[in-house]
Amino acid sequence: MKPVKKTLPRLYVVSNCRELSSPEIQLPELVSRITSHLPVIIQLREKHLSAKALYELTLKVKARKPDSASLLSINERFDISLATNSDGVHLPENSCPLARVRSATPDLLIGKSTHSLKEAVTAESDGADYLFFGPVFETPLKKRYGPPMGLDKLETVCRNVSIPVYAIGGITPQNTNNCLKHGAYGVAAMSFFTSTQNLARTLDNFHSSLDR
Amino acid sequence: MKQQAILCCITDDSLCPVLQAEKALCGGASMIQLRNKSASGTDLYSWAKRIQELCRAHDATCIINDRLDIALAVDADGVHLGQNDLPAEAARKLLGSKRILGISVASVDEAKKAVASGADYLGLGHIFPTVSKHKSSEPIGLERIVEVTKTISIPVIAIGGITEDSVCAVLRAGASGIAVISSVAHAPDPENAAASLTQKIQACRQ
Repeated sequence: MKPVKKTLPRLYVVSNCRELSSPEIQLPELVSRITSHLPVIIQLREKHLSAKALYELTLKVKARKPDSASLLSINERFDISLATNSDGVHLPENSCPLARVRSATPDLLIGKSTHSLKEAVTAESDGADYLFFGPVFETPLKKRYGPPMGLDKLETVCRNVSIPVYAIGGITPQNTNNCLKHGAYGVAAMSFFTSTQNLARTLDNFHSSLDR
Repeated sequence: MKQQAILCCITDDSLCPVLQAEKALCGGASMIQLRNKSASGTDLYSWAKRIQELCRAHDATCIINDRLDIALAVDADGVHLGQNDLPAEAARKLLGSKRILGISVASVDEAKKAVASGADYLGLGHIFPTVSKHKSSEPIGLERIVEVTKTISIPVIAIGGITEDSVCAVLRAGASGIAVISSVAHAPDPENAAASLTQKIQACRQ
């Protein structure tokens, strides 16, 4: 039986354990604080970890995520999503083909990173449940994808697909509302969520921008 | 798994995996393990798909190292997991009963644990000193093959520094087959190297 997919939260947080000194303790704590504050999608994106370490970290994070409207997704490794009974998988640009992942895991929430209109349209027809599109703004983390796409390209993508699009790349609480005005369903951010300092305020700022 | 002793050729990161598989299969390899720790999902999928097709054409078994996601996506015959990969119990559930689960072990305790977790075969090593992987531990030697195969009943594929000269000793110690990387991949003629190992395996089984 295929479970009914939950409503997707509009704030999407991508983990980056490289900035944490003891991720196996700090990350579950961060996730616990974030998800008890407001519903988000958390993506564990820890490419440097072995599959065993990622599996164990995922179980720890899952144990601290309240059974709320928040969702847990794993970068690329849908086997780990399935093994840990997580909600979804997020496929990077150079991933295993989306259509194959969809047929191997019909019930998982599948997201796909896209950097052009063509990629976005293809990802939707291959069975993605939501997309990342970016980098929308200037960001040091995504320099390899070239110059920022800007809000107009974001809008073009959002108009041409019918699944939720999360704007990514240089996202702040200040530019979040602009992304929504240009058609984004939500926003994805990484660098705001690497410490518990000011976490509640940051989340509130995002929340009010997303709610406006 | 087949009754005949297994020759498993594992792909080397530095060469085209599909070409390596093709040559090994033409030389008589009965199992190919696609192993590449750094390739993208896109590359791994396309190699795995091609190698799976080649294996079916040669009546051989296609195994993916570590990436159970790729194995499921291409519907490979199975996966091979090391001690730092997805735990065997979790992998067994995802694979179902028909796909093959191989687990790397180095001791009798690890072997027993792998069997209890649902492994279909074990990769036991490294038996001899080897150039293919940088190893911090000492080789475990032929005696360990005897100990492990006396204790457990699933097939044991021995790995690590095995050459034509040592194949018979390894099989006599109880191994159901051998796995090699560089002795086929880096041979001047890989197809010929696989064929020689295949012949040697058959000769010492008689």
